[in-house]
Amino acid sequence: MRDLTERLTTWLAEGGERIGQIVIRRVAEGFELRHADDAARDDLVLHTSADAARHLANLDDVGNFRPLKTAPTLARGWRLVLPDAASLRRALDYFYPAMLGCAENFSRGELPAVPLREKLARQTGMYRVTQQITDAQARGMIDRFCAGCLKQRLWEIAGPNPQRVTSAAGELPLICHEACNLLVAEARKVVKNPA
Amino acid sequence: MLHKPDSALVIAGHGSTVNTDSSAPTFDHAEEIVRRGVFGEVHCCFWKEEPSFQQILHAIDRDDIYVVPNFISEGYFTRTVIPRELELEGAITKRSGRVIKYCDPVGNHERMTELLLRRAAEVAPGLNPRETTLFIVGHGTDLNENSAVAAKREVERIAALGQFGQVLNAYMEEEPLISKWHEAAAHPNVIVVPFFISDGLHSYEDIPVLLGIADESPGAASTNAKNIFQRNPYHLRGHTLYYASAIGTEPLFAEVILGQVAAFDAQHAA
Repeated sequence: MRDLTERLTTWLAEGGERIGQIVIRRVAEGFELRHADDAARDDLVLHTSADAARHLANLDDVGNFRPLKTAPTLARGWRLVLPDAASLRRALDYFYPAMLGCAENFSRGELPAVPLREKLARQTGMYRVTQQITDAQARGMIDRFCAGCLKQRLWEIAGPNPQRVTSAAGELPLICHEACNLLVAEARKVVKNPA
Repeated sequence: MLHKPDSALVIAGHGSTVNTDSSAPTFDHAEEIVRRGVFGEVHCCFWKEEPSFQQILHAIDRDDIYVVPNFISEGYFTRTVIPRELELEGAITKRSGRVIKYCDPVGNHERMTELLLRRAAEVAPGLNPRETTLFIVGHGTDLNENSAVAAKREVERIAALGQFGQVLNAYMEEEPLISKWHEAAAHPNVIVVPFFISDGLHSYEDIPVLLGIADESPGAASTNAKNIFQRNPYHLRGHTLYYASAIGTEPLFAEVILGQVAAFDAQHAA
């Protein structure tokens, strides 16, 4: 059995400290998470439960809902102190859902890219119409819509993305192996209302 | 008592890109099940939010996985979308050393009746049920969903218990319409329970407007709309009306989720 909590512990021991907009550091009580832009602040509101991450991740600084958790809009002003790697994993799964697992499977070569055409081809119901999107429309949509997301795309319109996944030292990459349903919904809008 | 430290539980919900309350009950039930320590891992996944159906299997360590749809009824999502996105082959899928066990949706569980009764008792404490009409409100006209079938089944079960003076189905968009509740209610007291997985536009705003206990469009996310459940009882059209929040917000839903896992095991015991 894979053990993501153990992998997380190893990553931290090897200098891992950054995922998305969050910095993680060891403190006497365990681990501390905060927004990277709050690194130098000492007026942050303290939270101490992994479940608090769900609520911290849910709204941006002006109270807007964040259905896409990898949008670069994580709220600031908080710090989260957790006792162990298990609770850290739970918190990170709220901040960046499934991203620990996707990064791990990517490193094992077990995260196949799903091209956009393949994703759209299996849509049914109200999203079947997205299959009509042209390559030019898809290009424009991806360039515009995915610019608001911190994930790195493994996929392109018709095949895998030739661009390699990169990450800074100590950073865990956020990886998109398949278009999200927000993008599929956007494709529907593009097909229904071409500019 | 379930104890599955070597298994993972996945609760699959619909979610929303606009309503923060849509996924909240699913997460709440998951947190309750985590607290009980029943499973080695507990995860949620959503059609409209993250983690998505296509991401979730990458987030799970364990190879024995139960998937419980947090949906009111069998239908398009439980029969088409979830199986397609998780690449399921039926009730049991064996793939790459994993076993994925696809359970029935929560709304199908026999304890749903008990939860509806509990919700009715909570919203209107001390009321004599014999002098009360209980409405179970579904959406109606969900082309691919059988929510109306599930709601009718619950009404039949509750009526058969003989506790309430009257138990009726009503829908937002098909007959019998909830907007005509006062014509159908034969008793002075009326309890209305929305048969939905989460609170949102329908329970905050649409149904209250149809009932006549709220004005048009205060905005589903407004505090005023969310207070609709705190202002009971309402006195109108010759009745005293109590309005409950969506049944899916009931904390005992966590037990129904676990109940669907137990039911799966019972049905598929070797």
